[in-house]
Amino acid sequence: MTGEPLLSVEDLHVRFGTERGLVYAVNGVSFEISAGETLGIVGESGCGKSVTSLAILGILSRNARVTNGRAMFAGRDLLTLNDEQLRSIRGREIAMIFQDPMTSLNPVLTIGRQIREALETHFGMDRGQADLRSTELLDQVGIPSAKLRLKDYPHQFSGGMRQRAMIAIALACEPKLLIADEPTTALDVTIQAQILQLLRDLVSERDTALILITHDLGVVAGMCERVNVMYAGMFMETGSADALFARPRHPYTLGLLQSVPRLDAGRRQQLQPIPGAPRNMLSPPAECPFAPRCRFEVEESRQAVPPLEELESGHHVRCFNPVPAEEWQRTRVGGAA
Amino acid sequence: MSIAELEAREIALEPGQGGLWRDAWRRLRRNPGALIGFTLVGLFVVVALFASVIAPEDPRFGDLSRLGGSCCPGPSFDHWFGVDQQGRDVLSRIVFGARFSLLIGVVSVAVGLSLGLVLGSIAGYMGGIVDGIIMRLTDIMLSIPGLLLAIGIVAMLGPGLFQIMIAVGATQVPIFARLMRGSILAQRENDFVLAARAIGVPRRSILASHILPNAISPVIVQGTLALATAIIDVAGLGFLGLGPQDPSTPEWGTMLTDTTRYLQTAPHLAIIPGVAIIISVLGFNLIGDGLREALDPKLRGRG
Amino acid sequence: MAAHAGRWGCLSENGTPLVDVDELRVWFPIRSGVVLDRHVGDVKAVDGVSLQIRRGETLGLVGESGCGKSTVGRALLRLYEPTGGTITFDGQDITHLGERELRPLRKRMQMIFQDPYASLNPRHSVGRMVGEPLRVHKMGGRNLNKTVRELLATVGLPADAATRYPHEFSGGQRQRIGLARALALNPDFIVCDEPVSALDVSIQAQIVNLLELLQTEFDLTYLFIAHDLAVVRHISDRIAVMYLGQIMELSPGDDLYDNPLHPYTISLLSAIPIPDPEVERKRTSILLQGDLPSPSNPPHACRFHTRCPYVQPTRCRDEEPELRPVDTHLVKCHFAEEIKAGTLQPQQREVVFETPSAPAVWQPPPS
Repeated sequence: MTGEPLLSVEDLHVRFGTERGLVYAVNGVSFEISAGETLGIVGESGCGKSVTSLAILGILSRNARVTNGRAMFAGRDLLTLNDEQLRSIRGREIAMIFQDPMTSLNPVLTIGRQIREALETHFGMDRGQADLRSTELLDQVGIPSAKLRLKDYPHQFSGGMRQRAMIAIALACEPKLLIADEPTTALDVTIQAQILQLLRDLVSERDTALILITHDLGVVAGMCERVNVMYAGMFMETGSADALFARPRHPYTLGLLQSVPRLDAGRRQQLQPIPGAPRNMLSPPAECPFAPRCRFEVEESRQAVPPLEELESGHHVRCFNPVPAEEWQRTRVGGAA
Repeated sequence: MSIAELEAREIALEPGQGGLWRDAWRRLRRNPGALIGFTLVGLFVVVALFASVIAPEDPRFGDLSRLGGSCCPGPSFDHWFGVDQQGRDVLSRIVFGARFSLLIGVVSVAVGLSLGLVLGSIAGYMGGIVDGIIMRLTDIMLSIPGLLLAIGIVAMLGPGLFQIMIAVGATQVPIFARLMRGSILAQRENDFVLAARAIGVPRRSILASHILPNAISPVIVQGTLALATAIIDVAGLGFLGLGPQDPSTPEWGTMLTDTTRYLQTAPHLAIIPGVAIIISVLGFNLIGDGLREALDPKLRGRG
Repeated sequence: MAAHAGRWGCLSENGTPLVDVDELRVWFPIRSGVVLDRHVGDVKAVDGVSLQIRRGETLGLVGESGCGKSTVGRALLRLYEPTGGTITFDGQDITHLGERELRPLRKRMQMIFQDPYASLNPRHSVGRMVGEPLRVHKMGGRNLNKTVRELLATVGLPADAATRYPHEFSGGQRQRIGLARALALNPDFIVCDEPVSALDVSIQAQIVNLLELLQTEFDLTYLFIAHDLAVVRHISDRIAVMYLGQIMELSPGDDLYDNPLHPYTISLLSAIPIPDPEVERKRTSILLQGDLPSPSNPPHACRFHTRCPYVQPTRCRDEEPELRPVDTHLVKCHFAEEIKAGTLQPQQREVVFETPSAPAVWQPPPS
């Protein structure tokens, strides 16, 4: 990585109190991201990937507690800031896009009003300036006849356009960091392609840092330089996208890759599902959390949580018995046509 | 934040045991508000059922000599709740009043509920013109304030116990009909109803075993809350003089009316039936709210 | 028109197809009005679909949300009332059969649903649910419980599942319960409506593999509906691509991927991300501009012309293309040959967004 990271998260732990007991949602997550970089966090539902980002922004629900960790952003630890201080950073310097653009837009306010709000609170713009800037923003995210569209309400927009509007709001304050939590999961593939292209352009034109949280390996492969694979509140494997997709070393990463059908693999491809279901998180992990579903399990896996070890430069794996580097290529029947 | 909550819940979900009803019951038992409600209502029901055992004397028996020249003696060792203007034991009247309130409440809600359920189910399941007609009728009924409607019906049928039940019940019909219809419409669109049709389950069985059991929970909640409303309505009718014809009948609303004149000198005569009404209504409301939380599908664990 | 073209799809096969759909239309009325509902238009969810499903094959049906693919599946099982066209199942015209006449056929055609939460009655035990089809068709008899246990074992669930309730199971397990229910009557044909879309990646493959296994074991014919082309390609013999209520292209799966002929198929394929950064870098993707037009007022002539990157000044905007054979494909495009030969190239288009009018309130007919 070049220079000082924009955001650096160290050993983040988050717990929830629920009616069934304490849920250990995030158990020691560390990562860094620099300006102009796109970082992927991949994992299945319940792995703690959304909780991680909400904790950084300080918008966890009331029953959640950050029990340990630091999140350094521009010299300040976000986790120690009070509400007031966080509010000046949220939206202004770090913005977030959610999965469902319908519920994250206020249905009774016009799109224009919602963009203006951000501009007025953070920059103290007057109505006219804010309107002008809003038009510009909508135009940039690819909404035609932007000026007229400012007067529309969210329900008059289609799903893809709402997500564009969300992005426009997120961009209003030119944040340094954008966190996109499953930004395209609710959208159709052709619309997804449009939104991803838009995000790609933003990163390259404005030098924004982007954290992309998703369950879709394909989206990550096309978007991110570095990828973190998350399971049971921990990063199981981190590394450059190239290394990780070519030489997955953690059994879970391998399992994910082997269980998604690939468009370019045809019917010859044999799907190898990961057996079983994710662990419940009602106790802190005392063993490798993936061990019960793992084909590569060794005795140590059941005795301690493996450390995240560097196997090759920049490629870390949390496993006592990493998968051989060539395993994935070897088992790929068919391959690219 | 809803996303995080959802995620946390998904992670946490150690699946519950048994059916949804049992699940709801377990949640209900853990709700302190509902427990207080059950206690209050339990007390109310026990008092109503065993009125003749609990009450120290006949509620209609009056002995003017007890007044001792003033109106009216407050609580004493002989008469815990005091004596009313006709020398009757207030405790006995309250105890027997519970019986009336419960009886009228339960019967009128039963009337309203059964009629409302039938109309709502027909409207919800048939749709089309039938639905249109039934729903417009309920709209008309709902546009008249409940108590006013009840007064009108009592005025038409004449005062009396039975008439009150009918009147209060009638005001509940449109509420239940609407609720049932909405609930059925929501359930009808569910995939499991489609699945049942794909299997070839006859229409009637789909309604009976797939739609109704799932549509009924909001009705149960409303039914409990309606009991509270019914008690208030009955008391209200009694207060307005449309209660039971025999003025010596121990009915809480009537007791309130009779004592307004003595409010200055003997406030306990108004306070005691008032508190009785409040306690019973509160009890049913607490249970209703507890039920709502226990049965709410949003609280129901997914997975 | 499509009569001959539609049938062309199964020329190579002897005998009749198991399912034969001809010019199927399913329109949902849009009603508005305060006191009396007035019919003000139709959502043309399915508008002239013809396809055949051969015995033992898996026909994939893909398209984006709102293209009518699920409606086709439900109409085939007569869960929606067809507005026009005919549906033939195993030689019998079932388009207008009544509920009673349909009941014996229900044994032979079943369905599994997308949402593993909504498709199981939360108040019924798993045993009751899986046994229900047997009871309805009076096939269980004394061995009902044993049959239910066997069915549960077939889909990989423990026998004690029968006494438990849906909310005690995870999404993948629930999908297995749905499968057991569908298999109970030993059907010939199963409509799989997005059966894995709601599941986590690692669970999806379990269900896909199970579906493939069951197909061989019980000799099943599938209509596999999904928006995920990669999954569809994995499981299907032939694939039909739908757009705005019509089939745009239908061909054997490998041909569709290797050599897509319809501009919509081409764009769709290029939009699907592949989990491999190297491949992703090399791919050129065709970005489709704008949104799906409203199915209540679809574009005239070719329905795709408003977004088509290959759109031509002639024909596309004023003449509806036929679904016609080109090579091993059926394509609904005037210029399929030119696209195949590479003489037509895609162009960037002006963005034209459709304004979705206030969402029309329509309800699927209760039938």
